[in-house]
Amino acid sequence: MVKELVGLNFKQEVIDADTTTVVDFWAPWCGPCRMLGPVIDELSQEIGDKANFFKINVDENNDIAQKYRISSIPCVIVFKGGQIVDTMVGFRPKQDMQNIISKHL
Amino acid sequence: MTQRYDIAIVGSGPAALEAAINAKIRNKNIIIFGNKDFSGKLIKAPKINNYLGFYDIKGTELKNHFEEHIKNMGIQITEERIDSIYAMGEYFALMANQKQYEAKTIILAVGMEYGKQLKGEEGFLGRGVGYCATCDAPLYKGKSVTIIGYNKEAEEEANYVSELAAELHYIPMYKGEYDLNDKIQVINDKPIEIKGDEKVKKVIMENDSIDTDGVFILKDSIPPGQLVPGLEMEDEHIKVNKNMVTNIKGCFAAGDCTGKPYQYMKAAGEGQVAALSAVEYLSEI
Ligand SMILES: Cc1cc2nc3c(=O)[nH]c(=O)nc-3n(C[C@H](O)[C@H](O)[C@H](O)COP(=O)(O)OP(=O)(O)OC[C@H]3O[C@@H](n4cnc5c(N)ncnc54)[C@H](O)[C@@H]3O)c2cc1C
Repeated sequence: MVKELVGLNFKQEVIDADTTTVVDFWAPWCGPCRMLGPVIDELSQEIGDKANFFKINVDENNDIAQKYRISSIPCVIVFKGGQIVDTMVGFRPKQDMQNIISKHL
Repeated sequence: MTQRYDIAIVGSGPAALEAAINAKIRNKNIIIFGNKDFSGKLIKAPKINNYLGFYDIKGTELKNHFEEHIKNMGIQITEERIDSIYAMGEYFALMANQKQYEAKTIILAVGMEYGKQLKGEEGFLGRGVGYCATCDAPLYKGKSVTIIGYNKEAEEEANYVSELAAELHYIPMYKGEYDLNDKIQVINDKPIEIKGDEKVKKVIMENDSIDTDGVFILKDSIPPGQLVPGLEMEDEHIKVNKNMVTNIKGCFAAGDCTGKPYQYMKAAGEGQVAALSAVEYLSEI
């Protein structure tokens, strides 16, 4: 399941997490984000407990978007042990996303 | 629910048309996107001597033969420009203006017509360089944005972005009257390079340079790598194997967009192979 994340619990859910964490930076006005949404949903189902999936609305969480220098969305960042291990900018085919995330499980 | 086609063919040149007739012969439910003229390159050719079966024929005449052929087979071109194609896993979503089409497979036969990239353009893609200003504009709220516009439509996007950005520079790559609001600063100079560190910082032009946080490059035609995010390219061409298979499952390519030589017969031949590969793929899924 992909959970909505807000600024307040970012540290706890992403930085301090024990598992690999996938964060989808999106906004409602972004077309490719709307396309990527269902792809991420499917991946979170398939990958199950091995990773946590979150989405974060950049309009409502500007400080976090700034901190991670998000200049184009969709942007999916994979965190492990509080560190960024991969960044994917723009829409990616499901296959690609799967391959990249799998590397970090 | 939207109809899901077996095969969506993007483009209407010889590669696309040959793909369409072969897919139709194999009884597939197809849709083909392009224009009435089929291909600007076809109607411009003064004289063709290397298309087997037609000696000394004008491009416009060959176009008429093509038209007759597809008409007889009940194939109609959907006159729409596809802006982006998303590989969703089970299917492809094709976006045209505000409309969305769905297909199980796609054949890219978009030709080769996208001018040269600027130095630094590719390297800063997603780190300050973008191709859709209206898509990413809110991220540049209160910042400095530069738009390099290759057509009139870019002006509309510039006007929209100027409402959000702190300052907007517009570099027109064409001549004419510019329908831009007063906030926008028009710069008549030739862009050469995009520079920065981990993010865009500057646009270098022939005579001057601008400090900027973002650069949007708005052109008529879209390089295939941007049209289909995730598509693997080899230099400026789409990477295919001899069955016209790309790196994305269910996505095939044919014609000039896959590489040289740029010729009608090669384009048509590849279109046929691509269609047959798509048909085979459909029988496996
Ligand atoms: C003046 C001239 C003379 C030539 N003479 C010869 C000759 O004598 N012999 C020879 O073999 N070759 C010749 N060629 C080369 C030949 O024209 C090309 O090799 C051939 O047209 C390639 O076909 P294609 O189907 O790959 O692409 P194209 O013919 O370029 O067709 C692609 C079409 O798809 C459309 N399209 C692109 N993107 C999209 C999109 N996103 N959505 C919808 N539609 C899209 C384009 O607008 C275009 O109409 C000549 C070319 C020129 C310019």
